[in-house]
Amino acid sequence: MPLGRRAPDQSTAITAGSVTARRYRADVVAELVLEARGLVKDYRRDRAVDGVDITVRAGERVALLGPNGAGKTTTLLMVLGVVAPDAGTVSICGIELARQRSRAAECVGFAAGYLPLTERMRVREYLKLYGQLYGIADPDPLIDEGLERFRIAELARAMGTELSSGQRTLIGIVRATLHRPRLLVLDEPTASLDPDVAQRVRTGLLDLCDRDGTALLMTSHDMSDVVQVCERVVFLSHGQVVADGSPETVASAYGHGDLTGVFLHLAERHDPFAAQQSDHP
Amino acid sequence: MSTVPPSTAPPALTAHGKSWLRMRAIARRHAYVMVRSPHRLFDVSLWPLVDVLLFGSLAAFVSTGNATPAAKASGYLLAGIVLWHVIYQSQIAMSTGLLEETWTRNLLNLMVTPLREVEYLAGVALFGMVKLVIGVGVMVLGALVFFSFDTWSLGFGLIPIVAVLLVVGWAISLFVMGLVLRFGTGAEALAWGVMFVLLPLSGVFYPTDALPTVLQPIAQALPTTHAFAALRSLVDHNGSDWSQLAIAAIGVVVMLALSMAFLVAMLRTFRARGYITRYT
Repeated sequence: MPLGRRAPDQSTAITAGSVTARRYRADVVAELVLEARGLVKDYRRDRAVDGVDITVRAGERVALLGPNGAGKTTTLLMVLGVVAPDAGTVSICGIELARQRSRAAECVGFAAGYLPLTERMRVREYLKLYGQLYGIADPDPLIDEGLERFRIAELARAMGTELSSGQRTLIGIVRATLHRPRLLVLDEPTASLDPDVAQRVRTGLLDLCDRDGTALLMTSHDMSDVVQVCERVVFLSHGQVVADGSPETVASAYGHGDLTGVFLHLAERHDPFAAQQSDHP
Repeated sequence: MSTVPPSTAPPALTAHGKSWLRMRAIARRHAYVMVRSPHRLFDVSLWPLVDVLLFGSLAAFVSTGNATPAAKASGYLLAGIVLWHVIYQSQIAMSTGLLEETWTRNLLNLMVTPLREVEYLAGVALFGMVKLVIGVGVMVLGALVFFSFDTWSLGFGLIPIVAVLLVVGWAISLFVMGLVLRFGTGAEALAWGVMFVLLPLSGVFYPTDALPTVLQPIAQALPTTHAFAALRSLVDHNGSDWSQLAIAAIGVVVMLALSMAFLVAMLRTFRARGYITRYT
């Protein structure tokens, strides 16, 4: 989708081609679930994020890509309200994050491959805790549904410490989607997973987005994730958006056959020891 | 992919209903931590018992002669250690509540939810009250069984003293939390260390006249000093010392406001400098 659903004023380094009048009407209809404008973040003397604009529309699946240190995680943490931007604004489902973080957070789910499960709790207890933190009085039916979606219903009684890393990731995604968020944010959801588990994650995410119309914003270093799950990619380099469009459009704009080529191109430019060249195609 | 039947939408709660639900969820999360970590149970069982045995035995020793000052001292020691645990338990329960999230790298999981900071604090305090009741209950029982010291005999005058000490514990924990947010888990030693500074300065077991002259003004500025002075008035059968209690109440309100302001400032710094990355 997606190319056609992008807002006409969206700042992009690569345009996605002409937008027909019909598609433009779709732009107007598709609701923005995330609107981040002019995000800037400095850590000591380094600028981690430098004027990033990101919008995600309802049901859209977007990958935020870039080499290590490009500013992806900092951008996500600002979108989640955990890190305060030095400049710029974030709105989630039209709610300004800086003013109403708790209300805005009700519309978002977040999971990351590197985050542990809360210790000393069984999986069902853990999921119930987070369901209630999202304001669900009786999360049990949603827990059953979530576990079933990823075919891990048998883990409900397991202790968090007994799970493999793949199982923990799946439980983390179930936790992040219990409250049916409008926007699901995932940081490296398939990192260090076996291919079969990674595939189960991807299939589950697609199923979730299709059924509930959940929008997705995810980072990944695995381009097969991106190609299978996402319909739009946003590349960051040196804290700036350098490409925004469909995977095919972005790859061809950089003169590569696939996203891996674009990634390597940008990673080479990102190397502090390499001669500084343009990150743009 | 398995077929997942769409569930019905969960019933919506009011904003207050959601807040209360979140506070209870946090309290229950910490209950699991205590129940499933046997060594955490020591905080509310063994260590309070050890303290009451230590100070009770000391009290028994100094009161051997039955002289009036010695008899007074034994009452001061036992009543002092029992009431000291009100501060200790309320402070440690809240401080270790946050520390538990940092030790287990759970902070980011919580911070991305709609949980408000005040709801988190209230949830931890709620469970802290349970720990306090258990811990102090063990001490009251130990003092009665081993030393025939009936804490309840001090009467209802204990209630305002306990209230002041409870809030002092919370205020100290807010300050410690602020330090942990700002300086990381390296500041965790303060969770325990700060109590050992407060203990001698507050005159928990003796009137603060016994302190070195140079420290007495500091002692007088602490609300705990006045709360324990009021406690000694009860032990001496002189009834509630309302003037000391009033000073303690004013002091604790000021202390709580300062701690709260410090925590809010540190939380702002935490978000501004992206310190969450220490725990991911």
